Formats: sequence, structure tokens, C-alpha cells
Amino acid sequence: MGRKTRLAAVLTAGALALSLAACGGSDPAESGAKELRLWHYESPDGAMGQAWAEAIKRFEESHPGVKVKFEEKSFEQIQQSGSMALNSAEAPDILEYNKGNATAGLLVQQGLLTDLTEEAGERGWDELLGPSLQTTAKYDDRGVMGGDRWYGVPNYAEYVMVYYNKDLFEKHGVEVPTTMDEFTRVLDAFAAEKVTPIATAGAEYPAQQIMYQLALSKADRAWVDRFELYKGAADFKDAAWTYGATTFADWVKKGYIAKESAGIKAEDMGTSFMKGDYPIVVSGSWWYGRFQTEIKDFEWGSFLWPGNDLHAGSSGNLWVVPENSDAKDLAYDFIDITMSKDIQNILGNAGGVPVASDPAAIEDPKSKELIENYNKLANGDGLAFYPDWPAPGYYDVMVSGTQKLINGSFTPEQFLESLAGPYREHVEDNGLGE
Amino acid sequence: MTAIRRGSVLAALAVLAVVMLVPFAIVAMNAVKTPADYSSGGPLALPESIHFDALRAFWDRVDFGQKLWNSALISASVAFFAVVLSVLNAYALGIGRVKGRLWIMVLFLVANTLPQEQLVYPLYYLAKETGLYDTRLSMIIIFTAIQSAFGTYLLSSVFGTFPRELLEAAQLDGAGRWRTLWRVVVPMSMPTLTVLMVFFFIWTWNEFFLPLIFLISNENQTVPVALGVTAGDKYMDATMQSAASLLGILPAIVFFLIFQRTLTRGITVGAIK
Repeated sequence: MGRKTRLAAVLTAGALALSLAACGGSDPAESGAKELRLWHYESPDGAMGQAWAEAIKRFEESHPGVKVKFEEKSFEQIQQSGSMALNSAEAPDILEYNKGNATAGLLVQQGLLTDLTEEAGERGWDELLGPSLQTTAKYDDRGVMGGDRWYGVPNYAEYVMVYYNKDLFEKHGVEVPTTMDEFTRVLDAFAAEKVTPIATAGAEYPAQQIMYQLALSKADRAWVDRFELYKGAADFKDAAWTYGATTFADWVKKGYIAKESAGIKAEDMGTSFMKGDYPIVVSGSWWYGRFQTEIKDFEWGSFLWPGNDLHAGSSGNLWVVPENSDAKDLAYDFIDITMSKDIQNILGNAGGVPVASDPAAIEDPKSKELIENYNKLANGDGLAFYPDWPAPGYYDVMVSGTQKLINGSFTPEQFLESLAGPYREHVEDNGLGE
Repeated sequence: MTAIRRGSVLAALAVLAVVMLVPFAIVAMNAVKTPADYSSGGPLALPESIHFDALRAFWDRVDFGQKLWNSALISASVAFFAVVLSVLNAYALGIGRVKGRLWIMVLFLVANTLPQEQLVYPLYYLAKETGLYDTRLSMIIIFTAIQSAFGTYLLSSVFGTFPRELLEAAQLDGAGRWRTLWRVVVPMSMPTLTVLMVFFFIWTWNEFFLPLIFLISNENQTVPVALGVTAGDKYMDATMQSAASLLGILPAIVFFLIFQRTLTRGITVGAIK
């Protein structure tokens, strides 16, 4: 095996050198490549893994004589060595990459990704994806998302929702809330009976997302654009931020969120909910498939954060085509297949959130619930991204701030100040403000 | 009295052994659980039944046999070449007593403290320019250099105390420098050299960061890099991660069992002299 692949590598390298020598800027429409080198980092039995395995099969069927050489990578490897790998002759022809300024945006800035704008228009990807999904697919020259050129195509979406334990809801006589007031009453009912209602994790992303959801309940799209896309000045003392921080601190005080959760990690939060220890967990759709297969001892369901038009969430990771790819035409064809109804439906039936599925073709009732909720949210263009996105290293700022807010060493005002400093610094250092 | 003392030492050792073994036991326990079992019982509960699915699935998923071979090839080559290089360097510095050897030693020591993150970009460009990027050879060369920096430092001090009489005797018998090195110095320091070799092997085996950056093709990857596929962006597959860790440490344990006599001999080598 080693020798064969090495031979193939030598051949492709040779072919690359030849094609470069021949025209010095090969026309992607007819690369004549016989191999599509593809990388992604999804587990084979996850929703994306299943859907993409089928997409590879379809691609080989519709492209006789072309082989897909798929390599499963680790998330960490792509994070650490992505730009170096893409800058070499070893670059694949297409790969999954993390969306956002610090990841895909950085590659755009370094000129390592192919501009997909023309393909997106011609193949109709721009019509399949709503505006807030496009935000993470399009970048400007500075590598800031929400730009004017397409550099990636997402196949799936993700959003933060409320998961609840139906058995515990029944036992405590509470109903699924539809407004913020009702939600507070539900939390109160649990707290009154000495049950901590919300499982969360302050040491990682979950707790900050609850705070963000609370802020979003008083925010609009322009607020999100100011904070995430630097369109105007974000004000950390405005009504939305203040409401988010004070209400969150209040929830800890009232016992809706345990003080101990400051040191908890996301994985432990998830398993404690799966064990049935907590009635509610607020987190992203990435848990859905796992809850579906692993919760056996009780009934559970999910609902959108009550009363919000905006929800933490975004497009999923992107398919990107490296500038160094020598089979760009094949890569575009592959992306097109992953956007087809068939593949999107597989993704949906396996517990993912497809961006262009046919709702009627989703059979599993649980998956239907997930996708129907998503469609509600997508119709209102309600994806508001994540609080840790605006600046590199902002995740750590968010985590430590939220932890201090939970254990009471920060007042809400101090918490917001701790967020404002690094944010302003980043915007000023990079000339991002308007 | 001695019985009491022996008993308390034994008890302390037993406690220590338990403390050391608990993490391994937890890993082994979770490696044989099903994901549902893990989620409902948590990491510390005993498995309801024993499943080897995670182990098998991980082995197939990353083609573990290939990774073992890659790791073994890289680590063994590095262990051998780094020791040879260290011996040659140390012979010049410790026995040859070249001018300014103190400063050369300091330089090696400083080189040792450089974090690998700092070396990544220069090494990446060098490897790309020479066409060695994404080859196992690049790792062998880089780690031979890194390990031999430490080896040189250590062996230079060891050779610095090498009995002068032996060297003079060899000289009287007409042995040149080359012959003295291979016939006198190396055989005399064999215990130290084998320990060094074992350490280099294990250190290189456990290297994660540079292989992660340099070996991007799956067919070139090493064991620690392969273990990374079980940790995703927002979640981890705990049972498969345990299975992977178990498979990852087994070779090191086997290696240790084979060479443990050498290791213990190396520790007492100073006492014999």
C-alpha cells in the first residue's frame, strides 16, 4: 500500500508540475484529474460522516474513472497544521474547515482558498443557503466573515436549543414554556423543590451561551452585526448586554444554575443530563444525535429558547477548495452532490441539521422535531453566531468571565467590562471598526 | 523493628502503586463499555458488560497497524542515530576536551530549552524546501537533532569523568582516536548508552506536536497523532478515546517490560564504577 500511494503521489506531483509548466494557470473547468483528494474530520457514524460517505459513492458513480482518496483527519490536526498543509504540494483538493474569522478567514487572508463566488451563483448554492448561513461562508479581503466573496459552502447548520427531560417535567408538573416568563416560572418550580433545573458547564462554551441567549432576547440583527461583524460600534453597556449579564447572575443566585457548574466541562454536563440528573440542558444541536442513541432511561424533547427571535448558532463547518488543488472542477462537483436533496436527507435522518433537505423525507420523529425547529429559526433568519467569535482568544475571555460571574467574584458590570476590553483592543489593532 | 519498618515501606509502596494504577484501570474500564453504558453510568461506574467494539472500531478506523509501524520506525531510527551522534559529539567535548567546550555545552543546553512551537515555522520551511515535508524521514532527522542535543550534554559530562589511565593505556598500545572510541570508550559506557537509547525511543514515541504538523498524510502518521481523531470540535467519544489510549500505551508498556533490566542497570551504573 505504501509503495502504491507513494507512486500515486509522485505521479500527481509530476502532473501538477507538468500542468503548471504547460499553461501556468490551469483552467479549472478541465483539469482532467483522475483523483479527488478529500479530507474531513467527522466521525464515520455521525450525521455528516454518514452523509458524506454516501456523497463519495455518488460522486464516483457519476465520475467514472475518477477515484476519491478520502483521509479522515483529527480536528486538532486541521486546526494546528491546516495553513501549512494547504500551502504545500501535499494540499488536498477539497477539505472540511472550521468556519469563522480565526480559521477559514485566516486562510482567505493568506490567499490559500479558492474564490467560489462564480460557482455558488452558477450552481445555485446561494439560493439554498439563507443570509445568516451565508455570513460564515463569505469573507472579505481582511478575512472577516460576512464579506462579499464565497470561500466555503456549509452542508449543515447548528443552533443552541433547550433540551428537557420529559419524565422530570411531568414529575414536577411543569409544561414546555413558550415565553420567557413561563420559562422563568418553570425554573422557579424546580428550584422551589430544591432541584437545580439547568445543567451547564462554566469551564467550557455552554455557560457563556446561556448568557448570550439571554442577551439576544433583548437584541436585534443590527446588534448582532455590530458585535460579530464590526458593523458599527458594539456597546457592552447597552440594554441587551446588561440584561444578559444581570439575569444570568440572578439565575445563579436563585439556584437555576448551580454555583459548582463554574468548574464543569461540557462533556460532564452532557453525561449528567443523559443520566437523568437534571431536567434541562441548554446547548447546541451537536448533542442531538448522541442524545438520540444514548438516552434510554427516560423520554426527552427539545424546544427553541422561548420568546427569542435570535439564537446562538451558525452554519456548520465549510467545504473549502485550496488554491493549490489540482482538481478544482471535481471539488465543485463534489460540493454540488453534498447539497443535493438525497444527501441532505441522509444528513437529516442521521441527526444532523441539513440546510437544504426536504422536510417530508425526514422519517425519524426526533429528527423531524430538530429540523422543524431549525426551519422556524431559519425562516426568521435567526442565527446569531457565538459569543466567543469576534476576536482570537476571546473564548478564554468568555470562559473566565462567565466562571467569575457564576462564582460571584464578578458583578455583572465587572463581567461586561472584562468582555469590552479585549474586544475593543482587537477592533482597534486591526482597524476593523467603521 | 526491621519487620515493622519493612511492613510500612511495603504499605507505602502498595498505596503508591494503587495511585499509579488507578488511571490505567479507569481507562481500561471505559474502553470496554458501550457509549450508552458510559453515558448512563458515568466514567467511574463498572461496565455492565464487556465490549471490544470500541477497540476494534478504533483499530480499523485509523489503520492502527500502519501507525504502529510508523512510530516504531521513526522512534527506533531516532534512538539509534541520536545515540551515535551524541557519542561522537561527546567524545570530542568530554574526552577530546576541545577549546571552548563549556560554551558549546551551554549552547546545547539552551537549545534543549527551546519550545518546539518556536521551531515549527523554520523547520516547516526547511522541510518544504528540501522536499521532506510530510515524510517520515523529516521526523527522523529533526528528532535525531533534538534528542542528540540532550544526549551530547549528558554524555559529555559522563565522558568528562572517564578514567584517564584507560585512555593512556590504549594510546600506549597504539590505538588511534577512532579505535579508542569504538574499542574502549563505547564498550565501557554501554550501560549508559543503552539507557539513553531506551529514553530516546520512548520520548520520540510520545512526541505529538511536531508529528502532528509534519505528518499530514494518514499513511505517515504516528500513534499519538492517530489518537487525536477521537476528540472532536465540540464533543469527544469517551469510550473510543479510552480504547485508543489503551492501544496507545500498550506498545510503551511492552517496550518497557522488554528493556526494564537495561533501565534498572542504567540507574545503578554510577555505583559500579
